[in-house]
Amino acid sequence: MLVSVAWLQDYVDCQDVPSARLVERLTLTGTEVKQVREVGQGLAEVRVARVAGLRRMPGSDHLWLVDVDVDGGGAEPVPVVCGAQNLHPGALVPWAPPGAVLPDGLRLAVRRMRGHESRGMLCAPDELRLGDDHEGILLLDEGAAEVGAPLSAVFPPDRVLELEVTANRPDCLHHAGVARELAAALGRPLRPPDLRLPARAGTPAAERVTLEVADPGDCRRYRAELVTGIGRATTPAWMAQRLRAVGQRPLHPVVDIANYVMLDVGQPLHTFDWSKMGGGAAPVAVGVRRGRSDEELTGLDGVTRRLGPEVLVITAADRPVGLAGVQGGAGTAVDPDTAAILLEAACFAGTTVRASARRLGLRTEASARFERQLAPTLPEVGSARFLRLLDQITGAQLHPGPVEAYPGRRPPAPPVIIDGARLAGALGLPLSLERAAAALRSLEFTVTVADGRLAASPPPDRLDVAIPEDLVEEVGRVVGYDQVPATLPGRRQAVGALAPAPRGAGLALDVACAAGFDEAITYSFQAEAVGRRLPGAGRGQAPVPLRNALGPQWAWLRVSCLPGLLESCARNQARSLERTRLVEIGHAFWGPAGPDQPTEPLLAALVDHVPGGGAVEAAERLRRLLAVLALIGERVGLSPLEFQPVEGGEPGWHASRCVHLSAAGRWLGVAGEVDEGVAASFDLRGRVVAAELRCDGWLQDGGRVPRVHPVARTPAVVEDLSVVVGERAALGVALRAVRAGDLPQLESIRLLDEYTDARLGPAHKGWTFRLVLRDPTRTLTGAEAHAVRDRVVTILSLAAGARLREGG
Amino acid sequence: MRPESLAGLAATARAEVAAAVDLEGVEAVRLRYLARRDGELTVAAASIGRLPDQERGPMGRAFNAAKAEIEQALAERRSALLQTTRAQAAEAEWLDLSDPAVSLELGHLHPSTRIQREVEAIFAQLGYRVVEGPEVELDEVNFQLLNIPPEHPARDTQDTFYLTETLLLRTQTSPAQIRAMWAQPPPLRVITPGRVFRRDNPDATHFPMFHQVEGLCVDEGISFSDLKGTLEYFSRSMFGPDRAIRLRPSYFPFTEPSIEVDVSCFLCGGAGCRVCGSSGWIEILGAGMVHPQVLRNGRVDPDRYSGFAFGMGPDRIAMLKYGIADGRDLYENDLRFLRQI
Repeated sequence: MLVSVAWLQDYVDCQDVPSARLVERLTLTGTEVKQVREVGQGLAEVRVARVAGLRRMPGSDHLWLVDVDVDGGGAEPVPVVCGAQNLHPGALVPWAPPGAVLPDGLRLAVRRMRGHESRGMLCAPDELRLGDDHEGILLLDEGAAEVGAPLSAVFPPDRVLELEVTANRPDCLHHAGVARELAAALGRPLRPPDLRLPARAGTPAAERVTLEVADPGDCRRYRAELVTGIGRATTPAWMAQRLRAVGQRPLHPVVDIANYVMLDVGQPLHTFDWSKMGGGAAPVAVGVRRGRSDEELTGLDGVTRRLGPEVLVITAADRPVGLAGVQGGAGTAVDPDTAAILLEAACFAGTTVRASARRLGLRTEASARFERQLAPTLPEVGSARFLRLLDQITGAQLHPGPVEAYPGRRPPAPPVIIDGARLAGALGLPLSLERAAAALRSLEFTVTVADGRLAASPPPDRLDVAIPEDLVEEVGRVVGYDQVPATLPGRRQAVGALAPAPRGAGLALDVACAAGFDEAITYSFQAEAVGRRLPGAGRGQAPVPLRNALGPQWAWLRVSCLPGLLESCARNQARSLERTRLVEIGHAFWGPAGPDQPTEPLLAALVDHVPGGGAVEAAERLRRLLAVLALIGERVGLSPLEFQPVEGGEPGWHASRCVHLSAAGRWLGVAGEVDEGVAASFDLRGRVVAAELRCDGWLQDGGRVPRVHPVARTPAVVEDLSVVVGERAALGVALRAVRAGDLPQLESIRLLDEYTDARLGPAHKGWTFRLVLRDPTRTLTGAEAHAVRDRVVTILSLAAGARLREGG
Repeated sequence: MRPESLAGLAATARAEVAAAVDLEGVEAVRLRYLARRDGELTVAAASIGRLPDQERGPMGRAFNAAKAEIEQALAERRSALLQTTRAQAAEAEWLDLSDPAVSLELGHLHPSTRIQREVEAIFAQLGYRVVEGPEVELDEVNFQLLNIPPEHPARDTQDTFYLTETLLLRTQTSPAQIRAMWAQPPPLRVITPGRVFRRDNPDATHFPMFHQVEGLCVDEGISFSDLKGTLEYFSRSMFGPDRAIRLRPSYFPFTEPSIEVDVSCFLCGGAGCRVCGSSGWIEILGAGMVHPQVLRNGRVDPDRYSGFAFGMGPDRIAMLKYGIADGRDLYENDLRFLRQI
């Protein structure tokens, strides 16, 4: 929303206020000022001129030699060289003569370009600080000013504020409304708009027009005025200047006045050409109803649109003539010859206009206002303002009227009441009711104070004020939130936990980061096919589709984080990074699709990709990955995390390098090397190892409290033990068996080395373990230590077919 | 035994010390003369006690002098030998330590996660509990119970992904307010971090998915000043102790009054720069007093309780705080980006 400070001055003294203060005061009312543009500065030396003729400069593909008529008095045209491509003979343009200084400080002179004299220059909007456009020369509207006049006659000095108006404040989409806010913010008096009507005469409008509103839910009020005898005139300069300042193009008086009134007091108006409506001696039946699917209408923009039941239309003799609240019809549009009009000032339902505009794919200044639900009192304000200006500018005969349907008329709402203690308590600011009342009155509220309570009625166009909390806001923003002290809620009772629940997922993330994995965040949606390639922990789960995805690549909610991570690996590979290790902890979505919310498991996914990596180094990375998983399990108290080789392979994974992850009998996920074909389908070269496991619920109860065993201070016996096993013997199985073997004196066992050696025989490998043996109460004898060691060998032989290596 | 023979013993020992070529040799000399039981000087001294009184004094002094002489020689020789050893080791074991030369790679938290954790820690200090809400939400909870009925203009700015007629990807974390009130009667202080979704094609400032943190405090007598104090505490904890905040009236359907919160620019200190758009202020969050209808929708009696709510974007805060110019970097997971955090 653009507002002109010169225009605001009609309602409140503000032209003397520096821009910085205007910005600050208005912003603190809640209407943010995004930008202030000074327009019409330094334009007195720039003149209005006319292109008398133009031709290409010989030898140039873009420069023009332009003859410019600069005084309109038949004097010799002035030669100007120009590089813009939007000129035509007769165009009215700004010309900066030699010696003039442009707003950006550029001083013009007579120059020669490629042998051609150029006197001064024709200007683009940005060179005049009249806009950001540098695409072409500013083309002035015919009649904007006489040739030779200073450009400041077209664009007088003004400041234009670009406002961001919140959805609840349609009253700030016009100058009178913004002025009301500004008056309150500056503490200055507000001048009301002049709403006196011209005299009425002639045939009563009611004899020429009948009205029918089909559904009061669509249209709370429809007010029509019949005006005839409209004279030929041009839009007065002051109005044209203001319209231009806020980005509107003046057309001709009837349309301009309607536009002006909308920007002035906020009521969108529509003017139907009365003769094109079929106006004459017989009354015209004007209706407001829903469109039909077999109807269409060509709008003012020249586009023909099919109507339908979502679209509200205005009809004349049941024929659509306008898209209610959105745009008029071309067939009944006013033109410079229009002598009689039917003026529409209506209050359409915001939701209806919103639905219409969306169905039509057409948002206009009018629909944007109606959508925010205008007040039903506004049509009489808007029509009075229009009729008065029309009478002044063109002369016109206003017929007795109006003709009006007002099915949405309601008794005035009772005042909103708040007691003083509640008001002060809500703000946390000691405040007298008198001060609150004064704040509200500055916004044109009607206020009475009695018995420690305040009763306030908002001005009729402030539909957003209905409950006591609304008064709290109005008082607060006028008094200023900077006046409110900063306090913290009193700790009357303990609330919740003082620390966030330690969350397993966060700890898992920390472990993964410490192990060298960078945290990634990938989109929660993916292509269906991508999700199926590597479902990770979401194996067997039904994916859930989006109804209105941004594209097929994002059409399904993910069942696993892994595909997104593989896509990230591919991006890093494409950018020549050597190795990508990523971890993501996030929610996936498991169906079924339907009326119920899908489950949202929290998954931890890790990938490690080396472009060009081979089988041996991938095996090393996979083992390290399992070690990281084991650390995560230990950190979140899952230990021991168990790795169970998958019999017969798992879709998406290497046929023999894949394990299921579980803890305490609960299945958690899967880890392994990604199938080469799957990796290739993500454009990944080389091998990827990956894992994904469920981590919801970890440590949500604060986690297991560790119980500490006393540390034995007796000496340990440390022994290394070498055994020979088959080449596919499972270390995990062997170690689990030893740990389950009820050997209280075996403090620890760990693998020191795994090796192959010709002396072990074919299809065999060696394991060397380090055993730490200790009894907490006494020093172990050699015989006792030996007994434990023998027991370990027995267990290993039973669990893994191990035999003691000679000499080991 | 005469005092002179003790001095002779010391002289011999000194010569042997000087001849020792390593620390073991020095130790052997020490043991030969000074060993506790059978060192030559120790043995000689054993007889002193038996001497007549007039001889005991001079012999004792001679013994002490000889012992001191030997010990000094030992210490000097040891120190000389150590110095030689160090010099040899310095030569033989020289190591280039100007750089670790091997690298242990530390992974990095995503910038948004890092900010989210900071936010959680700050509000934990104020007694807030972290709770999560579903990312697939009911239209009713995401919109209607927050005073955003169908056709409400606020839906325009939150273009929504739908799964079904009634299920959507949450467009904001605000539905967590409703769920928090359903889950626990006041007093209540929670924050809810998480992903939110808007149907926007990604560009430098728009993403179909981003993060928010919602906060809610409901109790008896909660006032606007409590909201202001809380946000001031947060802003100073997050952006620095000298920060000022500015509360601008705004509009959210589910709070009344509603505000947007600016913090004085932490780069230029409020003088105006490119980051704050020369205004000196940076918008960091939206907030307000919970609308009485929303309290009712959360089964909380608005005549007894009041509360405030706030919502912020960790992505945006990360961009401001870490100087991230293009938000797309947040979701491309380029290692060169992630490793800077």
